[in-house]
Amino acid sequence: MATITTADTDIHDESGSNYINCSKGILSWIITLDHKRIGVMYVIATLASFLLGGLFALGIRTELIAPGQTIMDADTYNRFFTLHGAIMTFLVIIPAIPGALGNFVLPIMLGAKDVAFPRMNLSSFYLWLLGAALTVYSMLQGGIDTGWTFYTPYSLEEGRDGVFWVGMGVFILGFSSIFTGLNFIVTVQRLRPPGMTWFKLPLFLWALYATAIIQVLATPVLGITMLLLAAERIMGIGIFDPALGGDPILFQHFFWFYSHPAVYIMILPAMGIISELISVHCRREIFGYKMIAFSSVAIAFFSFLVWGHHMFTSGQSPLMNAIFSAITFSVAIPSAIKIFNWLLTMYKGSIAFTTPMLYVLSFIFIFAIGGLTGIPLAILATDVQLHDTYFVVAHFHYVMMGSTLIAMIAGLHHWWPKITGRMYHEWLGRIAAMIVFVGFNLTFFTQFMLGTKGMPRRYHDYQEGLGWSVETTELFHTYHFISTIGSYVMAAGFFMILFYLLQSLVTGRKAPANPWGGASLEWECTSPPPHHNFDETPTPEYCYKFDHWVWSDSEQGYVKKALQ
Amino acid sequence: MSLLLSILAAEQPGPIDTGGGFWFVPAASEYATTHDSIYEIVLWLSIFFFVLIVGIMIKFAWDYRRKSNNEPAGFGPTHSLVLETTWTVIPLLLSGVLFFIGIDTYADFKSPPANCYEVDATAQKWAWQFDHRNGASDSMVLKVPVGKPTRVTLHSNDVLHSFFIPAFRVKQDVVPGRYGSLWFTPDKPGVYQGFCTEYCGTGHSKMNFWVEAIPQEDFDDVIAKDARWIDDYSGDRLVWAGARLFSRCASCHSLKPGERMTGPSMWDLHANWGKTKKIEIDGKIQNVKIDENYILESIVAPWEKIAPTYMNQMPANFGKQLSSKELDALVRFVRQLDLVTDDNGQIKTEPLLSVTN
Repeated sequence: MATITTADTDIHDESGSNYINCSKGILSWIITLDHKRIGVMYVIATLASFLLGGLFALGIRTELIAPGQTIMDADTYNRFFTLHGAIMTFLVIIPAIPGALGNFVLPIMLGAKDVAFPRMNLSSFYLWLLGAALTVYSMLQGGIDTGWTFYTPYSLEEGRDGVFWVGMGVFILGFSSIFTGLNFIVTVQRLRPPGMTWFKLPLFLWALYATAIIQVLATPVLGITMLLLAAERIMGIGIFDPALGGDPILFQHFFWFYSHPAVYIMILPAMGIISELISVHCRREIFGYKMIAFSSVAIAFFSFLVWGHHMFTSGQSPLMNAIFSAITFSVAIPSAIKIFNWLLTMYKGSIAFTTPMLYVLSFIFIFAIGGLTGIPLAILATDVQLHDTYFVVAHFHYVMMGSTLIAMIAGLHHWWPKITGRMYHEWLGRIAAMIVFVGFNLTFFTQFMLGTKGMPRRYHDYQEGLGWSVETTELFHTYHFISTIGSYVMAAGFFMILFYLLQSLVTGRKAPANPWGGASLEWECTSPPPHHNFDETPTPEYCYKFDHWVWSDSEQGYVKKALQ
Repeated sequence: MSLLLSILAAEQPGPIDTGGGFWFVPAASEYATTHDSIYEIVLWLSIFFFVLIVGIMIKFAWDYRRKSNNEPAGFGPTHSLVLETTWTVIPLLLSGVLFFIGIDTYADFKSPPANCYEVDATAQKWAWQFDHRNGASDSMVLKVPVGKPTRVTLHSNDVLHSFFIPAFRVKQDVVPGRYGSLWFTPDKPGVYQGFCTEYCGTGHSKMNFWVEAIPQEDFDDVIAKDARWIDDYSGDRLVWAGARLFSRCASCHSLKPGERMTGPSMWDLHANWGKTKKIEIDGKIQNVKIDENYILESIVAPWEKIAPTYMNQMPANFGKQLSSKELDALVRFVRQLDLVTDDNGQIKTEPLLSVTN
């Protein structure tokens, strides 16, 4: 082996100027056009919403720990689960990865100075804030208790004025999502540097691109649905209300036409993160690049064709049910392909059990369960039994929380040094990752059994008497108790993460440019990056070849190997 | 147990859904057994793939763990047509098989046989009403024959509900503005839990019911007796008929002193019988006497006088659903509540008829 001379490329910016300190003052952040600052603001905003939604979740779990009313009455409980769902779906999981990590990372990974439309990017964030404000306003006015799905005619009933405010919040958040999607499509199409062909794009960007297509095509349907709901409430037109000649099932069709693709807005970027992280932390070229890229687009396409699988017991015709069931299987195939590709990426890799890698391993474990439990839900006969029970709750938490959210946390840890210029305490990170993993499974695995045994969703209470049997109550109690304890464990893990991430900002070791040895373009600039990302247009290489980067003990990171 | 919300308005008619495997309550029909075998297939397939995936992951994580920062980057295959084709084609084929297995059974679920026993289930916030064709009607227990298919026609008077009996593996949403139905054939006598499983507001988790499967040879007599059950009550026994009817009301009204639910407690009305209370009617505060007329009006025209601090949300159609005698029974029930309940708001056991008919 030839001697290796390590030569630093000039990635130490001697002036110490980066995107954080290049301008000072709150106003310079509020009206910034820098995608990196916008990304950071999204991180703070979505994590704060996660905390709020999580507190609602802890309230729910605490109420359900024992039969009978534990800490709240039915009306309060119904508001808790509604707000938990609405906040987590619309304020956290849909915007988080594209808005927070996508905004920060996409232009740099692409080799661009910023997104195509920086002002539209800032507007996206403002719209998010406005939508969040309307939701919080509604909460302060007493909130809503319709479930995050707003099914009619319950959501049309008089006195439920919160529905209007949250509905308008959702409408506005939709535009935030559409603008981000539009921005990313144009950025990826038009701002690639010379040499960055489609098949040199990092897979995270393929994922964000496919997500952006869904964002742009599907979200308007939700917007219109919310407008129709508001119009019906205010003007009594009779679109969804049977008392006025309308059809409640029509609402479900409109709602799920968006909300099913929406779950792929959630998971696709998450899978993109996993593709990046597994490759970097195993220091090995990704297996099956093209298939992973194509599978992202395939998932985006098929996601539009399966919405009816949320409505198998709604009164939809058996023929429609059969068609939706069949197509639903088609979405499972590309996801399975990705899992096998990731596993093969680990084969003959050099695997480090860093905090991001532990989250990747958690993701594979949890997503396998989440995906496989989608199968009995896709099969009509078994879905009749499982629909609207805790089995569904467990399934979607496995894919939305255990997969999407965990991928987001993984990505946050992976890019944290780049974003903040600091390293967090690695062992605290690993321990918290394990606590979250254990807590998550304790919380949600028991809910599969609760569901198969028949416990319906959105139940405030389970208590013998008045149509509840003694046997049923005792059975549900055991599972709910374990689930609640699990949720407290998980919460402890998350608070730990919050603690050491904040701690890193104050006392964390200064981060090298490339702590993990990644080969995509963001690792070429300083941690944190300079305001303009690159001094000169970068020359993109295929980003999954890692042998150009070698470990430097002095840097405590990776540096570019000078080529002999 | 001081937080008990409500009382047993009707005694649980026997042990319910006991036993059963790890996943489901015991299957109570042939269809349910078929359903369970589909689930078993999916379960074992899932376990196989889960063990495969996680097993490979753990093995690779261990075999290829990084031993030093200075070790070179990993190097391995990045394509394999054989593997990629295999793991595309096999899931595709399995999907096809699973889809067809499911659709076959689902088609059965959607095809009620010709000679079903017919019953109507009406859903309303927050209780069911099961009406048999001979006039028998109950709110808590749906009685069906063993060994003969029962078809339940579903209808909602207000919002979406859903009719779900886990033991039979059947469920159908109950949609206002249209009728739905489902069918099942219990294969043995027993009592089975039923739930409302589409969110419908405050009392969603109180809209439960029981299904009692009765052997065919006894079934006709039982239902005939149920149709004229109230005929056995008259005079001073009518108050016990009221206690039985009250199960319909118990999801919103408590019998315990001072206990607020969606509606006021009947005990408070009883304790203040004959007294007046102030109620706002058409913007004016009026004195209303708590007597038989007030109770009757509160059932048949509940929007007229709303108790202070409560909302106008009692369904308006009870007057049309209850016979004159049933209304009388309920009025007497509230008036003579101390006769039929104990201090905790529990309904006492009904004394047997002392005179044979």
